[in-house]
Amino acid sequence: MSNDSIFKTFLVAFLLCVVCSILVCLAAIVRIDKEAYNKQLEIRKTVLFAGGYQQQIDDGGNIDELFTSNMELKLVDLATGEYTTAVDAATYDQKEAVDNPELSEKIPADLDVAGIGTRAKYAAIYLEKSGAVILPIRGAGMWGPMYGYIAIAADGTTVKGFTFYQHAETPGLGAEVDNPNWKKQWPDKQVYNSSGKLALKVVKKGKYNPNAADAVNTIDGIAGSTVTGSKVHGIIRYWFGENGYAPFLAKLKAERG
Amino acid sequence: MAKAKDALLDPLFNNNPIALQILGICSALAVTNKLSTALTMTIAVTLVTACSNAAISAIRNHIPNSIRIIVQMTIIATLVIIIDQMLKAYLYEMSKALSVYVGLIITNCIVMGRAEAYAMKNPVGLSFLDGVGNGLGYGIVLLAVGFVRELFGSGKLFGVTILNTVNDGGWYVTNGLMLLAPSAFFLIGFIIWGLRTWKPELQE
Repeated sequence: MSNDSIFKTFLVAFLLCVVCSILVCLAAIVRIDKEAYNKQLEIRKTVLFAGGYQQQIDDGGNIDELFTSNMELKLVDLATGEYTTAVDAATYDQKEAVDNPELSEKIPADLDVAGIGTRAKYAAIYLEKSGAVILPIRGAGMWGPMYGYIAIAADGTTVKGFTFYQHAETPGLGAEVDNPNWKKQWPDKQVYNSSGKLALKVVKKGKYNPNAADAVNTIDGIAGSTVTGSKVHGIIRYWFGENGYAPFLAKLKAERG
Repeated sequence: MAKAKDALLDPLFNNNPIALQILGICSALAVTNKLSTALTMTIAVTLVTACSNAAISAIRNHIPNSIRIIVQMTIIATLVIIIDQMLKAYLYEMSKALSVYVGLIITNCIVMGRAEAYAMKNPVGLSFLDGVGNGLGYGIVLLAVGFVRELFGSGKLFGVTILNTVNDGGWYVTNGLMLLAPSAFFLIGFIIWGLRTWKPELQE
């Protein structure tokens, strides 16, 4: 039979499609479970890093074990600052909720200092054994959205750790937000000052004065990435303001004291 | 035997896909800011070119001429999807770093070019070797560019610090250009210049 007959053409095309689709399906089946687990592992790792467990992970600690024995998932209603069980925490996806009108709300432009547009009503936070809380934060970066976690001690104001797990900042400049040397200045900074006002800020590289009265509220920026620094500043200002975690952290502090 | 050796070794220098045929430049710019991504991409492209060449060569006498390009494309796409899925499953961090560029191997001219120019006319074994050779020829350039970019851009090789950078409290001021894609243009240009000076018969 000639290769170029109509029948042969259809036959070859059909057989090729069947064989190729079976192979692609098999590959997808292997991938789906693994990928869901990998994504969960990435979040767990970020939460543990922010929460101050980096040493244990570097020493070869099992991420899943460290996570389940130290972290507890909770949902916070951002408007009231109370824990909520309005939706099931185990299946709640905060990133998806942002696109769901029932679970999110628009942020008025003048309040939207993080550049996020809409905010989920409920935040999926992690409660650490010691009473510290690990809070998801996000906002617009220079080239794309930035997602991360920040850990706040049980006093509701002391930063324990900070890390992004997704961003698209310029390699070598803004992407230095991942540099451990930059991140290590975050722990022990105070989000709120003694009169309870939001005071944490990211300043331009070199404007940081370790002897100033507000040094404990100030993060030195990154050399060559003024824009990324100001974006991170905006993220901090939004999420620790009245529209972010301020009501929740105030309650956390009140319960403790 | 000599033919097998040629099929495997020719693409490394004499007929290098990037430096001589100027194919596959876009991914060579995108994934070479670190050696680890360059190496993974090399392995992925080598596997795809070798397997697609072998598969296409195996059925070359049954491929109707009227749909031959789409048949090649389907085989290549299937292999690329499988590799992409396996990276997502087993090397998740790496698949994030390579992002869309694994998927874009489908449109990498090297793969398609070898299928059409070589695998359609040669037996399975030789086609496979030709695929491995072209994948490695692509990889040599990728690794050379990755070496320079990671060393001078981040002061590291395979993530291990070689030059202690200022941002980490050391002395080396990193070259920011090396971290951005355009630097690979210059480096590939130098490689092409060097190769044609070394082997003048390659000059056009």
